[in-house]
Amino acid sequence: MQISINNFTKTFDGTPVIDDMNLTIRDGEMLALLGPSGCGKSTTLFTISGIHRMDKGQLMFGDRDVSGLPSQKRNVGVVFQNYALYPHMNVFENIAFPLTVRKDNKADIDREVRFIAALTHISELLERRPGQLSGGQQQRVALARALVRKPDVLLLDEPLANLDAKLRLEMRSEIRRIQLETGITAVLVTHDQVEAMSMCDRIAIMKKGEIVQIDTPADMYSNPRTSFVAGFLGNPPISLLNGIAMGNTFSIAPIKLRVPLGSHEGIADGTPLKLGVRPEHFGPEGDIAVEGKITFAETQGRENLYDVELADGSVLRSIQPAARNWKLGEPVRWFIDSKSAFVFSDDGLRL
Amino acid sequence: MVLLLGFFFLPVVLTSVFAFTNMSTATGISGGSYVVTGNLLRSLKDEGLDAKTIDALGQSSYVIDQAGLEKAHAAGVDARFITEIAERLKDRSFTSSTAFERELKTLPSRPTRVRDLKIAAGAFEQSVLNVRYASRGEMEAALTHMLENPPEGAIEKVATASYTGWTWTTENFKNLVITPDTWRIIGNTVFYVVLTLAFNVLVGLFLAITTFYLPPAGSGFFSVLWLLPRITPVVLYAVMWKWFTWEDGFVFNIAQDLGLPAFNYMKGSVASAWTVVILVNGFVGASFGMILFSGALKAIPVQQLWASEVDGASRWQQIRYIILPHMRWPILFVTSYQTLSLLSSYEQIWLTTNGGPGSTTTVWALEAFKTALNNYTGNLQYGLGAAMALILVAVGLILSIVYLRLFRFDEMMSKPKIEF
Repeated sequence: MQISINNFTKTFDGTPVIDDMNLTIRDGEMLALLGPSGCGKSTTLFTISGIHRMDKGQLMFGDRDVSGLPSQKRNVGVVFQNYALYPHMNVFENIAFPLTVRKDNKADIDREVRFIAALTHISELLERRPGQLSGGQQQRVALARALVRKPDVLLLDEPLANLDAKLRLEMRSEIRRIQLETGITAVLVTHDQVEAMSMCDRIAIMKKGEIVQIDTPADMYSNPRTSFVAGFLGNPPISLLNGIAMGNTFSIAPIKLRVPLGSHEGIADGTPLKLGVRPEHFGPEGDIAVEGKITFAETQGRENLYDVELADGSVLRSIQPAARNWKLGEPVRWFIDSKSAFVFSDDGLRL
Repeated sequence: MVLLLGFFFLPVVLTSVFAFTNMSTATGISGGSYVVTGNLLRSLKDEGLDAKTIDALGQSSYVIDQAGLEKAHAAGVDARFITEIAERLKDRSFTSSTAFERELKTLPSRPTRVRDLKIAAGAFEQSVLNVRYASRGEMEAALTHMLENPPEGAIEKVATASYTGWTWTTENFKNLVITPDTWRIIGNTVFYVVLTLAFNVLVGLFLAITTFYLPPAGSGFFSVLWLLPRITPVVLYAVMWKWFTWEDGFVFNIAQDLGLPAFNYMKGSVASAWTVVILVNGFVGASFGMILFSGALKAIPVQQLWASEVDGASRWQQIRYIILPHMRWPILFVTSYQTLSLLSSYEQIWLTTNGGPGSTTTVWALEAFKTALNNYTGNLQYGLGAAMALILVAVGLILSIVYLRLFRFDEMMSKPKIEF
């Protein structure tokens, strides 16, 4: 079901958290709300679920306006960060809870619960209490409970934040698998760009209560609209150099660095600019030479990470295959791939 | 530690000891002596001692023996007169004073004044009535002397009954069982505890949940408001209820204005007296419950409440399926704690209805208190009171065990979190 949020505004104790936001989640897609803490992504999620109410704006589930409805009447499934399983009920009762309060008959409840338990691979845990389950198992139970009454939308609030690294990888693909199998519309709130990119069809990046950009993960990565988006996606993150426009190039005069601006013509000389260079676009190969010194080196197994400090003190990050090792303090003459570099205005907008 | 244990257990131990005695103001708490009194004879007669023995015990006889002669001498009776008595009447006995005095009047040296004659006669009087004997042996000897051919066991019976000190006995419990009042009071107590407890827990829960859903400003005010019965001194609180319900009090006037029956609601009718008793105690307990329940409510993770709403639970279903299960432990605590304190509490009842009208609102603890410590007749029956208190302790113990079983306390007590 398509979910649309129109002109949504939310204030907490006089502080505006979300201001005039518009967002459409397509039927059957999984959308990530990605952003740093305090950007309003959880508020948006809880507003869709009805836990928070809109101060202004409209929320549509398909053609139905649910803005004024309490969460009980919205038919949403939510997976909370700490799972919020009911400790006094066993797994079966937990999953059955949405159906029990709807007063479905026993046979239906039993069938539905067993079906969803099979889907989430927890059929053998139905008699246990939440306290007897591991984190990953609790996660699956929470997911099953959210899905059991076939909600219009599945809302996931940082579902992987409390899991260890290995479980996180496993649950990442599990949640995506279940979402694809059920074809449910889903919203994932996360501050982890890897999670967002690996699990979702589209990502909405939020900053201070606004959606900065909404795009597929690949487009978002290769075509960021602002330096904030560019900086948020990618690990290790993009490096930003400060310079000015000079004769149709991005120039840092003291170190005689000039990177052609290509298609961005007609920028007045002396305009302050930012150049974004992803780590994979800076290394021993490329077209614009830069000299510097290795100030940080980290081995990651397959690849090595380096920080290269330029003569003016600015830093470029690089990621290189582990075949050749550069040492800390070693002077290098590496190259920027100028075609892949992003040019931003001083206030962060992509040119 | 020993002192602590001593002070902790001493009251219970003393209660148990007292419970098996017939101590009262009359017996005192130290030893006594042996006296046959008119009252005792009457109660012995009621208990079926034969009339002949009773009569014999109640009568005086006059025997002219050496002891009598010496007594007469000591009393200052004329020596010639004593000599004449010894010579002429020695070893004779008389069953009444008139017969003895008539005989005395025939003697030549008899005193002229009647008073002197009576003094002389009195010296030879022999009776157990109102004579205090220090030991049982002396009492038995006196009885044997007094009674000719007493029936089997009569002497022992009279001697035992004549003891004025306290004795070991299980009579207290027997009396409690056979007194019809006991069952009335038990009924009252059960009625009182069950209703007040229900009021405590339900109103406490209701208040806690209501304030939980109220905005913080309102809930704070309400919490303090409901605490008032708890923080008001007991006597003041009871006096306020008196003003509230007595003749010309608040309720009285309102009822009058509304044309409803206006009377002393505290003691005027059984139903209103019970209502007052249950409300007075109920509000104190309800505020106590509310505090505990409010604390427990705040400890419920808010995500669980959110989750239940998202899952479609109505307010009522949320309370029933999420909040109440979380409140199991505090509800158990309040229930068991309040049961025990209500069982043993009487001060509010004492200060308000004082068990009335009649003894309709008298509960076990109040009756025990009155029996042992605050009796109209002035004879405080420590032993009986202690027996009643001991029964209360036993009931309390049994109830605690039942509660622990019922709520499966061991399941709730998880293993210690800190390992040693």
